[in-house]
Amino acid sequence: MTTATPRLKRARSFRALEPTRGGLVVRYIWLSIAAVLCFFPFYAMVVLSLKPGLAVQFPQSLLPWNLSTASYEQVLGGQNLLVWLGNTLIYAIVSVVAVLLLSAMAGYAFAKKRFRGKETMFWSFLAMVMVPFHVTLIPTFIVLAKLGGVDTYWGLILPTLANAQAVFLMRQFIEGLPDDLFEAARIDGAGEFRIFLTIVLPLCKPVLATLGIFIFLWHWNDFLWPLIMAKSSDMWTLTVGIASLQQQNVPLSVMLAGSVVALVPIFFAYVVAQRYVQEGVTSAGIKG
Amino acid sequence: MRYTKTITAAAVAATAALALAGCSGSSGGSDGSKKTVTMWIYPVIADEAKHKGFWDETVKAFEAEHKDITVKYEIYPWANRDESLSTAIAAGKGPDLVYLIPDQLSTYQKSIEPMDSYLPSAQKKDILDNVAESVTIDGKLMAAPILTSANALMCDAKAFEAAGVTDYPKTWDDLEKLAPTFKEKGIYVTQYFGSPDVTLNMTFYPVLWQAGGSVYNKDGSKVAFDSTAGTKALSLISDFAAKGYIEKDLISTMPALEQTALATNNVACTWQSGPSDVTSFWGEDAIKILPPLTDEKQVSYGTVGSLAMLKGAKDKEAAGEFAAFATDAENSKKFDLASNFFSPLKSTGELYADDPIQSAIEKTIPTSKVGELQPSARAVMGVLAPEIQAALLGTKTPEQALKDAAAAAQPLIK
Amino acid sequence: MTTTPTQPRPPAVGGRPDGDRRDGRPPGLTKRVLARREARIALLFVLPAFLLFLAFRFGPAIAGVGLSFFDYDISGELDWEGLKNFERMLADPTFWQAFGVTLAYSVLAVPISLALSVAMALGVRRAFRGSRFFRSVFFLPVITSLVLAGAIFKWIFSTDGPWSAIMAPLGLGGSWLNSTVLVIPALVIVGVWSRFGYGMLIVIAALQDVPREHEEAALMDGAGAWNRFRYIVLPRLKPTLFFLAVIETTASFQVFDLVYVMTQGGPAHASYSLVYMLYDQGFKYTDYGYAAAIGVALFVMTLVVALIQRRVIGRQK
Repeated sequence: MTTATPRLKRARSFRALEPTRGGLVVRYIWLSIAAVLCFFPFYAMVVLSLKPGLAVQFPQSLLPWNLSTASYEQVLGGQNLLVWLGNTLIYAIVSVVAVLLLSAMAGYAFAKKRFRGKETMFWSFLAMVMVPFHVTLIPTFIVLAKLGGVDTYWGLILPTLANAQAVFLMRQFIEGLPDDLFEAARIDGAGEFRIFLTIVLPLCKPVLATLGIFIFLWHWNDFLWPLIMAKSSDMWTLTVGIASLQQQNVPLSVMLAGSVVALVPIFFAYVVAQRYVQEGVTSAGIKG
Repeated sequence: MRYTKTITAAAVAATAALALAGCSGSSGGSDGSKKTVTMWIYPVIADEAKHKGFWDETVKAFEAEHKDITVKYEIYPWANRDESLSTAIAAGKGPDLVYLIPDQLSTYQKSIEPMDSYLPSAQKKDILDNVAESVTIDGKLMAAPILTSANALMCDAKAFEAAGVTDYPKTWDDLEKLAPTFKEKGIYVTQYFGSPDVTLNMTFYPVLWQAGGSVYNKDGSKVAFDSTAGTKALSLISDFAAKGYIEKDLISTMPALEQTALATNNVACTWQSGPSDVTSFWGEDAIKILPPLTDEKQVSYGTVGSLAMLKGAKDKEAAGEFAAFATDAENSKKFDLASNFFSPLKSTGELYADDPIQSAIEKTIPTSKVGELQPSARAVMGVLAPEIQAALLGTKTPEQALKDAAAAAQPLIK
Repeated sequence: MTTTPTQPRPPAVGGRPDGDRRDGRPPGLTKRVLARREARIALLFVLPAFLLFLAFRFGPAIAGVGLSFFDYDISGELDWEGLKNFERMLADPTFWQAFGVTLAYSVLAVPISLALSVAMALGVRRAFRGSRFFRSVFFLPVITSLVLAGAIFKWIFSTDGPWSAIMAPLGLGGSWLNSTVLVIPALVIVGVWSRFGYGMLIVIAALQDVPREHEEAALMDGAGAWNRFRYIVLPRLKPTLFFLAVIETTASFQVFDLVYVMTQGGPAHASYSLVYMLYDQGFKYTDYGYAAAIGVALFVMTLVVALIQRRVIGRQK
C-alpha cells in the first residue's frame, strides 16, 4: 500500500514502515469510526439518563440538549444505590487485599521454599483452574447457606478468595527474584514473616498492582455469585441492584442513571490504573 | 503415595460438604423469655414510606398487647422473590411469616405450617368462602388471608375516543371486531406480556379459562392446556400478534412502562395491567374498569394475599398470634385501604363505595379465579411461556406449541 | 547433598548449587533442623490459600459432581437418583436447546471477536498520536459489566432503537431480540463488543514480537499490506490466536450475564444458554440435583474443547 520512496529505499531505515500522511489520515478515519461505534452505548446511556420521563425516540432523544438530572436525584435518593455502592466497595476491596496477601504468601512458599508435598499441592492448584465455577457453584452455596453465610459479607467474599491464577502469577514473579536478598536477611536473623512483609512484598509491587486491579475489576462486575448470595436488598452489590431495577418497572432514564453511577467508579479506577491493566493483559497473553 | 494426602484431604472435604448439605439446618433454641417473630413482606403498598408506616404502627400496637414478643419485618422487592425465598428456606434461614399468594402456598406446602390452630374460629368463619377455599390445601387452612385483588378489564377512554369507538368490548368477538378499527389509528387493541418473567396467571391463563379450558385436569395429575380450548385461547393472541394488533416487542422483553404503547394511550384495553400502572400516564378519568371478557366463561385472574407460617419458625405460637392480629378485620381493612386492594373478610363490607374505579374492580372479584394450585405450577409456567412465545412469533402453530409444552411439562408434575 | 528425604531438590534459583554452604549458620543448627523449620514455615504460608481451595474449590467440585446423582430440593431431602438426572438431561429437549444455543453463540462470537481484535490491534499497534486513546476506548467495554450495559443495549435493539433503524432498509428491522433467529446474532454483537478490546491488547503485545526487519524486507520487495500481514505477521500470531481462542471459547460457553439481563433466555428459549439453564433449574425451580448435572455437562464440554484445542496447538508446534 505504501510504496517506499527512492530516498527511503536507499536509507533502509525503520521509517519505511511508518504510515504516510495519507495512510495516517485513513487510519484515523476508520479508527475513529470504530471508536465512535464502540463508545456509542456509553454516550446513549448518559444522554438518555438525562432525559427523564419521555418515551425515547431515535434519533431525536440522542441529541444532547433538553437535559435534566431528575433521574439521578431519583436514583440516588430513592433507591439503595449508595448502599449497593458500599457493598460493592467492601466486596471488591476486601477481596483484593485478602487475595493479594494469601496468594503472595502461597506464591512465595511455592517459589522459594522447599517442603513436603509441595509438588502435589501445586498440581492440585493447577487442577482447580480447570474446574469451571458452575460445578462448584451450587455445593458452595449450599454449604455456605447451612453455615449461615447467606446475606453476609463473609459468605459473599470467602469463596472468591480461592484464586489459582493469582497464586501462579505470584509464584512466577517471585521465582524471578534473586535469593540473596532473603538469605542476607535470614542471616541477620530476621523472622520469615518479617522477610516476607518487608522484602518480598515491596519487590512484588508491580505484579501486586496488576493483579490487584484485575481482582478489583472482576469483583466489581461480578453478578451471578452476589445474585445468589446477597438476598436482602441492602446486601446487594451494584450489579445485582441495577439488574433488579429492570424488573421493578423503573423508568428507563432512572435505570440508566443507576448504571452510569455504577460505572463511574470503575471507569475512574481504570483511567488511574490503565497501565497496569494493559500490562497485565499483555503479559498474560505473551506467556500463553 | 504422592497423591494420597491430597486425595484424602479432598475426600474429607467433599464428605463434609455433602454431609452438611444432607443434614437439616440446626434449629436454634428460643430463649423462652423474649420471643421474636420475623416476617417477610413485599411492596403490596407501593409507596415504601407508607408501607413501613403501616407496619411500624401495626407492630407497635401488637407489641403493646404482647409484651414478650418482638416483631421484625422486612420489605423485599417483588423481583425474584421465589428464588430468594426458596433459597432461604433451603438454607434454613427463612422467616417465620411470609406473604404468599395461593400459587406459592401450593409450591411451598411442604414447608408451611398450617394456620388452622392459630386463628381464632370467629376470624376463620369471617373469611369469604371462595377466599378460604383458595388458601386451603387438603382441608387445612394454609395461611391467613389479608387481601384480595382482581385483574379486571381496563380500557383507555382516550384511546376509544381517538378511534371513534363508543362501545366497550364484552366478548372476544367484540375485541376481534374492534381490532382493525383501532389499528387504523395506530392503536393496539390489547397487549400481551410474553416475557418469561411475567406470571402466566396474569397473561395467558385468564384467556385459557375464558375459553373454558384449564391448566390441569381435575385431579392435577396431568396438564390440560393442550385442549381445543387451549388452542382457541392461544390462537386469539397469536392472531393478534400476526395481524399487528398487539405490540410485538412485548412478546420477548419487558421495557420500562413509559416506553410502551400503553403509556402513550395507544392500547385500547388490557387485562394485564392495572390502574396503578397507568394513572400517571392516562389520568384517572381515562381509566374505565369493565367486567372481564367472556368467551365460554367470564373469568379473570384474582389473587389472595396471605400471611403463611413456615415450618422453620422458632416460636410458632408467637408467630401465629401476630398473623392473627395483622389479618383481623380491623387491621386488614386498614391494610387494604392503604394498598388499594380488597378485603378477604365478610364483615368488612364494601371498602370503596365512593371510588368508582375501585368499586368497579371490587365488583369483578366474584368472577375472579386465583389460579390452579399445584406444586409444579411455576415449573409448568417455565416450559409453557417459551412455547407461547414461539406461537406468538409465528414459529409454531398454537396447537403445536401447546403440545410441545404439555410434553415438556408432564415430567415436572411429581 | 540433599537433606529432605522424599523429594528431589528443586533447582536452586540464582545459579548457586547449594546456597546454604556459604552462609554463616549459627552452630548447632543442622541442615535437617533448618530444613524442617523451613518446611513448617512454608506450610504456614501456603495453608490459608490451600485451605480455602480445599473448602471452596476441591470440596465443592467433588460435591458438585456428586450432587448430580441426587435429587435435592428445598425440603432438604437428599434422595439418591443414580444416573436419573443424566438420563433426564439427555432426553430433555430444553437441554439440547441450551446446548445448541451455547454452541451457536460460541461459534459466532469467538471468530468475530478474534478477527476484530486482530484488526484493531493492527490499527493501533504502532505508537502514533492518539493510539493510546484509541486503545483505551476499545478497552472500555471490557471493564463494563454486561449487567450494567444491558439496559442500553435492550433499547438499542428495540423496535424504536438505532439498530432496528439501521437494519430496516435491509429488511431486518424490528427488534432482533424478538426474533428466534436473530436473537443470538444480537447477543453476539454485544458479547463481541464487550470482549474484543481484551484480545486486542493481547494481539498488540504479540505483534511486538514480530521482527520489524521481516516486515520491512517484505515492504521493500513490494509486498502490499495484506500480503505482509498474511505471510509475515499471521504465522507469528498463530500461537497467540490459539491461546485467545481457548480463552474466548471458555468465556462464551459460560455466557450468562448477557442472557439474564437482555433476554431471560427467550424468546421461546432461543437464547437459553447452558449456564442460564443451570441457574434456572437450580435457583428458580430449586432442582439442585438436575442443575448439578447440567454443571457436569458444561464441565465435560469445556474439557473436550480444551483438549481439542490443545491437540491442535500441539500439532502446530
